[in-house]
Amino acid sequence: MGIAVLLKQVPDTTAKISVSGDRVDETAVSKWSMSPYDEYALEAALQLKEAGGGDIVAITCGPIRATKMLTDAAAVGVDNLILIQDEGVTDSTHVQSLLAAAVKRSGSDVVLCGKQAADTNGGSTGPGVSHLIGAACVGMISEVYAEGDGFIALRASPTGNERVEVSRPCLFTFDKGATELRRPNVRGIMMAKKKQIETVTSDDLGVAIGTSSVSLQSHSPPPVKPPGQKFEGADSVPVVVAKLRDEANVI
Amino acid sequence: MDVTIIAETTVDGLHPVTSQLVGAAIAIGGTPTVLCPGGLGTTAAASISGVSKVIGVEGDCFNTFDSGAWATALNPLVSDGVIIAASAPSGREVAAQIAAMRGIPIIQDATGLEAGITVTRGIYSGKAIEISTVTAPCAITLRANAFDAAGGGGSAVVSTVNQSADVAVAVREAIAKASERLDVAEADIIISGGRGMGDPANFSHLNDIADMIGAAVGASRAAVDTWGEIPHGMQVGQTGKTVTPSLYIAVGISGAIQHLAGMRTSKYIVAINKDPDAPIFGVADYGIVATWEAALPALKEELGKL
Amino acid sequence: MAYEALDFYDIDSLLTDEERMVRDMVRDWVDEKILPNIEKACHDGVFPDEWRVDLGEMGILGAPLEGYGCPGLSYIAYGLICQELERGDSGVRSFASVQGSLAMYPIWDFGSEEQKNHYLPKMTTGEWIGCFGLTEPDYGSNPGDMITRAEDKGDYYLLNGAKMWITNGTIADLAVVWAKLDGVIRGFIVEKDDPGFTAPEMTGKHSLKASVTSELVFQDCKIPKDRMLPHVKGLKGPFSCLNNARYGISWGAVGAAQSCFSSAREYALSRIQFDHPIASFQLVQNKLAWMLREITKAQLLAYHLGKKKDEGTWIPEHISLAKMNNVDIALDVARMARDIHGANGILDEYPVMRHMANLESVKTYEGTHDIHNLILGRYITGIQAFTRES
Repeated sequence: MGIAVLLKQVPDTTAKISVSGDRVDETAVSKWSMSPYDEYALEAALQLKEAGGGDIVAITCGPIRATKMLTDAAAVGVDNLILIQDEGVTDSTHVQSLLAAAVKRSGSDVVLCGKQAADTNGGSTGPGVSHLIGAACVGMISEVYAEGDGFIALRASPTGNERVEVSRPCLFTFDKGATELRRPNVRGIMMAKKKQIETVTSDDLGVAIGTSSVSLQSHSPPPVKPPGQKFEGADSVPVVVAKLRDEANVI
Repeated sequence: MDVTIIAETTVDGLHPVTSQLVGAAIAIGGTPTVLCPGGLGTTAAASISGVSKVIGVEGDCFNTFDSGAWATALNPLVSDGVIIAASAPSGREVAAQIAAMRGIPIIQDATGLEAGITVTRGIYSGKAIEISTVTAPCAITLRANAFDAAGGGGSAVVSTVNQSADVAVAVREAIAKASERLDVAEADIIISGGRGMGDPANFSHLNDIADMIGAAVGASRAAVDTWGEIPHGMQVGQTGKTVTPSLYIAVGISGAIQHLAGMRTSKYIVAINKDPDAPIFGVADYGIVATWEAALPALKEELGKL
Repeated sequence: MAYEALDFYDIDSLLTDEERMVRDMVRDWVDEKILPNIEKACHDGVFPDEWRVDLGEMGILGAPLEGYGCPGLSYIAYGLICQELERGDSGVRSFASVQGSLAMYPIWDFGSEEQKNHYLPKMTTGEWIGCFGLTEPDYGSNPGDMITRAEDKGDYYLLNGAKMWITNGTIADLAVVWAKLDGVIRGFIVEKDDPGFTAPEMTGKHSLKASVTSELVFQDCKIPKDRMLPHVKGLKGPFSCLNNARYGISWGAVGAAQSCFSSAREYALSRIQFDHPIASFQLVQNKLAWMLREITKAQLLAYHLGKKKDEGTWIPEHISLAKMNNVDIALDVARMARDIHGANGILDEYPVMRHMANLESVKTYEGTHDIHNLILGRYITGIQAFTRES
């Protein structure tokens, strides 16, 4: 069995995001990390491998800097590393086609990824790739284990959680997992250093990237919050709750 | 322009966010057709003002959530214009699958939509705003409560279609929501108490509210140090957890610099304190000068109405 | 907030990927395991056993040693490990320094093949803890006049004497002890259950509270003949260990200083007095600028010394300069950071007072500040000034 895990390198969630000239300034990002939900997917992939064997291939679509993240993945036990060099593709359909082609080529029959990336906050990649590779999709799971030829996964449901079964080929997207990504050790780091990263282009994968009907207009910093407002007495609670819902949009 | 809306449904029928999807569709000049997966909520959908057609899509596949099967069943009924769904777990997944099936772009979790089509959404967890334009055909999911809902009083034609697909996911066991409390380090909403709560037993009021809104309960160091009943794991601040939830509600917390260090980067801060000069009001977006005894019951009541 | 280490001159860009990965691994571990627990460990006066297990699992004990299961990392990587550990607490770095540089290193460099095979694999995994016995109650800066003696009794050696200020002593499975055999300093491996050996813990410290400090007492302690390190005689043995440990300290001090700087900067930006953050006042900015200046210089010293260690072009005096300077400025940075924090600086909410108290020990252990000046003085003038005799 081959396990594929789709990873994305994003600005660390604690990093400051600054905008200059209508675009997020990536050069100002102080730290790049593996997207947090992808970390849970990777840990689950490592556990699947430990329990049932099979090689893990980590696939990312991104610029050269993402090789660091792939090496980090190798340090905790990923066997094969693939970097799909993107030429600045932002359209979700293009990213999905590239990832799906790489997954197919790897021959993996189980794919794991985060439910969404911490930069674009999209969440289309997993379901989209599952369709393109003809795999069942189970979203928002927190754990998965193999049973027979298939898998049992724990996912959120409207009334709590549910354990679902699914057969191969299948794709899981991870919400917060039950176990954090393991820490590497020096031995893993030494091995990772020697691991080759296979760099491929859309041509190598036989994917034609057409023009996109999505065009990015601008990035901007979030609107400045109004200065704090102070209310007298408990009678003001309904006003504050209404503001939390309509103004702040947090409840 | 044809807009196909995939209704968000619950076990009881139509989720109210569906009216907001309709409102947004009309605002960009769309003619909305609402698809109700599983045939749920068709009557309610038909009564939303501005809806032109409602199609109840009935099939066995809708008994279990399998985004691939749902998308396969719904896809033939989708028109070539714009697909709109709610930015909820199921809506996002189904819309993404349909977009992949049709080879059209999808933009998730929009907070603004203008004719054209111009889409506004938060990226980097809200640390920046992205504005992009897209032309039909495309799919867009919308964040709940970010759009004005269409009114009632509509009388759209309702039809029913039998359309199912092979389901690849089988539910083996349903597990009721765990009652264990969320960790402050992970929660999106936190309600914290300080020594102003007077007695650790009064934290039960915070627990009640936390249960209602899926929040974690935190505490200031003063509360943790004073009362053995409040474990260190709940402590927010310099030597406790550093948290950045969307909403932080500080109750009876004066706001010592060490506490502020742990929570000041929360997206929104509500402070409830009887002392109008408490430093916590300096970082609060919404401050309520009141005792917790007066404010918490009112808060509970208001949140219950949501 | 995630910790952002001060790196004004972008030392980061000089590191290899492997060095960065090791550094990040240790940094994450310190964030996750040390910082949330260090105050309790200090309060209880213990070095939690879990930390030993983790250090072993990460595979960083005896970092620059090769073979016998040891990591074989560069000296730069070893320095970075020390820097990150001491950013957490000097006691944690001390544990790793003693294990790697003072206990494993002499066995690795001066031990027999049997000794290396027997001890090193279990020490690099942290399964066995080592300590290092050189200093005695009456002989600190002047170890050459040590009292501890070994006698050859035919079938065994008999040790008598006492060592003091021994990090890890009470929790150690073995001690590398320096004692005079027929007037010549030799190294001996003493195991915890050897008859006549005890290692009582020293208590009442106001510094390095999360580190175990002990006496080693030998009363007719019998050890087998194969426990002497065969390949070294004289002070060269302990001094070569100390060179490695002092090298690590020069990096560790940078970590402690970075931690104090980071806390002071954050505090100064958030503390409002006279309606403005105190960071906006010139006297506070002057302090922060001084801290940045000194830490940056210390980083450059440590990095360049690391390069020389990796190339093998160093001399002991290089290490003396770096150890002395970096600990000295780290202590001053800690005191200044304490000052910027005002009264809050004495609280366990902030790391500064703990680092300050720790660094007072670091300043005088592994060669006092003054002794390192004398080492440099001898280098400059050719005249030793340690003793009255020439």
